Amino acid sequence: MSLSPDPWVWIAAILTLAVFSFLYRENPFYRAAEHLFVGVSNGYFITFTWHRILVPSLIDPVGHGQKLWLIAVAFVGALYFTRFIPKISWLVRIPIAIFLGYGSGMSLLRSIEAGIIEQVKATVVTRAMFANWQTGLWAIIILIGVICTVTYFFFSAERKGVLKPVSYAGIVFVMVGFGASFGYTVMARISLFIGRLQFLLGDWLGLIR
Amino acid sequence: MAAQSGAKRHTFWEILQRIDRRWIYLVVWLVVMVPLIKPFPVKPVASPPVQQMFNYIDTMPEDKALLISVDYSPDTQAELHPMTIALLRHAFATRRRVGLVATYVYGLGLAEDALREVKREFDSVATSHEDSIISGEDFVFWGWTTPLLTMMLGMGEKITNVFPVDYYGARTESLPMTRHVKNYNDVGILVSIAGSSMPISWVAYAQTQFGLRIGCGTTAVSAADFYTYLNSGQFTGMLAGMRGAAEYEELVREKMAQMDMNWHVRNRGTEAMSSQTAAHIAIILFIIVGNIGYFATRRRKS
Repeated sequence: MSLSPDPWVWIAAILTLAVFSFLYRENPFYRAAEHLFVGVSNGYFITFTWHRILVPSLIDPVGHGQKLWLIAVAFVGALYFTRFIPKISWLVRIPIAIFLGYGSGMSLLRSIEAGIIEQVKATVVTRAMFANWQTGLWAIIILIGVICTVTYFFFSAERKGVLKPVSYAGIVFVMVGFGASFGYTVMARISLFIGRLQFLLGDWLGLIR
Repeated sequence: MAAQSGAKRHTFWEILQRIDRRWIYLVVWLVVMVPLIKPFPVKPVASPPVQQMFNYIDTMPEDKALLISVDYSPDTQAELHPMTIALLRHAFATRRRVGLVATYVYGLGLAEDALREVKREFDSVATSHEDSIISGEDFVFWGWTTPLLTMMLGMGEKITNVFPVDYYGARTESLPMTRHVKNYNDVGILVSIAGSSMPISWVAYAQTQFGLRIGCGTTAVSAADFYTYLNSGQFTGMLAGMRGAAEYEELVREKMAQMDMNWHVRNRGTEAMSSQTAAHIAIILFIIVGNIGYFATRRRKS
């Protein structure tokens, strides 16, 4: 065992243990670590945005008399802060509207293309999918799964006749999906814990090399 | 009285049903910790999505760059950081040019940390200046900018317009790598390593608009959602969770061994596999015991 001489490793280790102490019960050490995390994260984000974005992209050029139109853009952006002044808080709608319009316009078609059209194409069974029996079998299972699941979420008709067994099969597919997600979630949470233990046992205590 | 004392007696299964969850935490802690200190051998075997990504990067044209988007923050570092390191090792071992961007401010430090670690590994065995890994020639760390959409779309036109200076403050126009990597046409594959839905955003903007090939490294939580993109061919490959990282590390280790690059490196994903295996066995046992206990106590009550 060789303890780390780095004071930052010690600080990180103590904060990690403070967060883990929540597993026993709520306590001031956990709360202190949580508040510190939120404060440091926001401070880092604001500082970085100021030095790497606002200063080189806005303050420097405008200060040198270049790109003066940026003043108008900055003014519109600054309207976000009117939220704190009740009398003129309605002005916040202007930058929100611009941002929403820009975001929707940029993403609408591309999201439909990537998230719907390409996905539907991948569900269609083609002759090429039967190049070997395994891909063919999976393609058929996926097609059946999609049809049954979509049927399960079709609420405009009563579930009777053919809709009943199909929607029942749909919920089986949904449950299998949930099971897979849960298994992966367990794996993820354990991985995060392993990561912290690798730090505590390796970087801090020197028990892992 | 006899009836009361009888009601107080609990069976083994009833005690298990009421066990304080802190005992479970303690067991999980031990089950994870012991194999980390005394590991048992687990050799990761590459699954098809991991092999697919490895093969593509390994065989893509030499003039094409690997672009890594560090789309995660320290909360998912344990799962995703080993992927970034393994990808960098693979790229530097096969002398591919690498570009790095971060879509979160918090990813910048992690990307820099991964670059520093892998660069040090290669530089420590380099015998000449050409053998070492040089910023601006072998890789460019462009850093982070906002807004995201403008970055993703702008890089398809001209990267230096989006990033006039790199993370270290160098003018990107003057970097030697900029002569070879101008926009997405010069990129073989972009691998988005993300703890969020960022890989889907890369597909929506960079792939749909510019036809860029996208690979994905994701947390295990998101993996089930991303399989549909793998099935549709929108992802060229996928590394899912720490296991995906370990599988890629193993492929890179084999590749580097073939190339006589046998120096010792720390593979954090592979190192964690014995703990992960033990933890999974423990959780499976908890689920089985919990269910048996539930049905046994229910039958007793009825």
